[in-house]
Amino acid sequence: MARVTLEHITKRYEDVTAVDDMNVEIRDGEFVCLVGPSGCGKSTTMEIVAGLTTPTEGTVFIGDADVTKLPPKDRGVAMVFQNIALFPHMNVWENISFGLRLRKFDTDEIDRRVEHAADIVQLEGMLERMPDEMSGGQRQRVAIARAIVRNPDVFLMDEPLANLDAKLRVHMRTELQRLHKELDTTIIYVTHDQAEAMTMSDRIAVINAGRLQQIDPPLICYNEPANLFVAGFIGSPSMNFVEGDLTRDGLETPNFSVEFDPSQVPNATVGDRLTLGIRPEDVFLEHRAGNLETTTDPIDAVTDVLEPMGDEIFVYLLLDESAERSMEDALATPNQLLMSVSPDTEIHEDERTNVVLDRSKVHLFDTDTGEALVHGIDDLPGPTAGADTGAGTAGTETRATGSGTDTER
Amino acid sequence: MAAETPTETQPRTDETEREGPLARWTQGVISDPDRRKLLYRALFYVITLFFLVTTLFPFYWLLVLALTPNSLILAGDWDLPFLRPQGFNPEAFVEVFQQIPFHLYVFNSFVLATATTIIVIVIASLAGYVFGRLSFPGRGPLMLAILMVSYFPPAAFLIPLFEAFTGNVIVIPFLGIPLFEPPRLVNTPGSMVLPFSALFLPLSIFILTTFYAQIPDGLEDAARVEGTTRLGALFRVIMPLSAPGVATAAVLTFIAVYNEYFFSSIMALGNEPQQWSPLVGGLLQYQSLYSTEFNLMAAASIVGVLPVVILVVVAQERIVSGLTAGALKE
Repeated sequence: MARVTLEHITKRYEDVTAVDDMNVEIRDGEFVCLVGPSGCGKSTTMEIVAGLTTPTEGTVFIGDADVTKLPPKDRGVAMVFQNIALFPHMNVWENISFGLRLRKFDTDEIDRRVEHAADIVQLEGMLERMPDEMSGGQRQRVAIARAIVRNPDVFLMDEPLANLDAKLRVHMRTELQRLHKELDTTIIYVTHDQAEAMTMSDRIAVINAGRLQQIDPPLICYNEPANLFVAGFIGSPSMNFVEGDLTRDGLETPNFSVEFDPSQVPNATVGDRLTLGIRPEDVFLEHRAGNLETTTDPIDAVTDVLEPMGDEIFVYLLLDESAERSMEDALATPNQLLMSVSPDTEIHEDERTNVVLDRSKVHLFDTDTGEALVHGIDDLPGPTAGADTGAGTAGTETRATGSGTDTER
Repeated sequence: MAAETPTETQPRTDETEREGPLARWTQGVISDPDRRKLLYRALFYVITLFFLVTTLFPFYWLLVLALTPNSLILAGDWDLPFLRPQGFNPEAFVEVFQQIPFHLYVFNSFVLATATTIIVIVIASLAGYVFGRLSFPGRGPLMLAILMVSYFPPAAFLIPLFEAFTGNVIVIPFLGIPLFEPPRLVNTPGSMVLPFSALFLPLSIFILTTFYAQIPDGLEDAARVEGTTRLGALFRVIMPLSAPGVATAAVLTFIAVYNEYFFSSIMALGNEPQQWSPLVGGLLQYQSLYSTEFNLMAAASIVGVLPVVILVVVAQERIVSGLTAGALKE
């Protein structure tokens, strides 16, 4: 068990920067997921921790030791690979005991440990089999047993469930969580599946284009995303984004406006271009929003397409009826809004309706930088005329606390 | 072939009277999948038979010669067309070892071939790993340069090598500046194993490069995380999984060196087993100024071939088992 610290890790291939100045500290015993779209550098980051790739710049610490120059075998890490990577010419016992045999453990000890590891992943009685005689899930369990048998300080898992079918994946997900509880080892887990990241990890590190966007517990990433990328990446379906201008009365978008005191928004001044983010479940039909404390003014909308999921219905709303209905992703077009409602809601396609947004769940982002400015505008008072002069100081104060929130969590 | 002819021609005769039998037969093969399968099977047997005869007849002829006493061979009174031994003289196989120490010649070739094979496989594995699994600037030109060694006829290297191996001082051409004095290697295995290794390396490097390149990166990464070095991963994971390729390279090298005569006959100054003269040199010892003992040469050839036959059979087993066990699920 050990901490893993990455300091200013940068990895450049000829003209591509795969990882760009990554600074992460992963605590002892923590389960951290690295998530991001394909090619964002999360696997490279993991390979750097494992020692399979040497960083161009920066330092890797495992525990207190600088392991940047150490080969993988001396780092005390174990890894589970996306393609499982069992040695096809060895049976299960030989695969699991490979690392122990290399380290010249005595036979009794090897047998005892292999037995124990096989027990944890429920592989009893299969030790004589060859990898190609096993199913995908069994092979994955062998790979995990091979990793745990050496009692590594750090577990690295590179999309270990990606090659399994959906049902097995959910099953292995719980198995892995149970394993983490049992072993209490530091686990770094790479995935592009944000559902896996949300359900399993203590903290999520969201990576995009080689840069760390946010590292926080799953619910913080969900409720207080640090920027537009995290907001759009975490959550399925993803957040609605509407661009607008910051005015003296609040935010003015092409189809509706949200009122608040703009001076209370840190790092933004009247006239700035802002993006409003609201999750589908925080959009409500006006007559159903009774139990919300603060809502925005009603927004006229027409329902477009309904997607009944069973436990909820996704409703695509058109804010501007006259605008052309776009077949593109609803989130890309500013006149559409995705709403999720409970399945017992009476709602039909092409129906005129009014919706409101939960003010406490409205996120404001700076459109240019993508940085989050405010999460929830229910605390911001309504527009106060003539407060412009005094608001400058208040704005700076909020900015200070605001930036603190982004980095610390 | 004989069995299928009637079944093919008869049913069609009444339908297509005007076409000749060949046209009817080809039509039948084209249209009828069963008949086509039969034709393919027949062709398979014909071709197999052809290759079996061409490859096995020399061995049969060796056996015939070995069993026939030399006087009868020289008489040349064979009963055609079936060549069979004229008389039965298995003592030739014993006489082979009595006339000259033939087993020493076999031993020489075996040692030379084994040593060369080990050197070639080890070095070619390292080179194959580098060329197959790493990317670095100049990989292509470097590979080409290595392959160029095999474009030269081996004889081109003979004179300079002989000069060097006889212990002559190496001198820079035209300038006459002496560089160093190499050890005198003639009459030792070194003078043969070194050039053989150099000559057979390019082919083995080429074979192993293609095989090693196919092993998924994940397996090597897994081995390295589990506790091997890059070298360890090469010898514990990549090589076993490339067993067919390694076996192919090893067998090719072994057979080529085992049969080699040109270099070794020159590097061994006399045709004596103590001077590491090879197997073929031994065979030629049965030929003297006044007589050639064909029966002994044939018997010795059979004896000399046996180790290679055994080796190839064993390696073949390996190749086949390697192909099935190495089936990668990726």
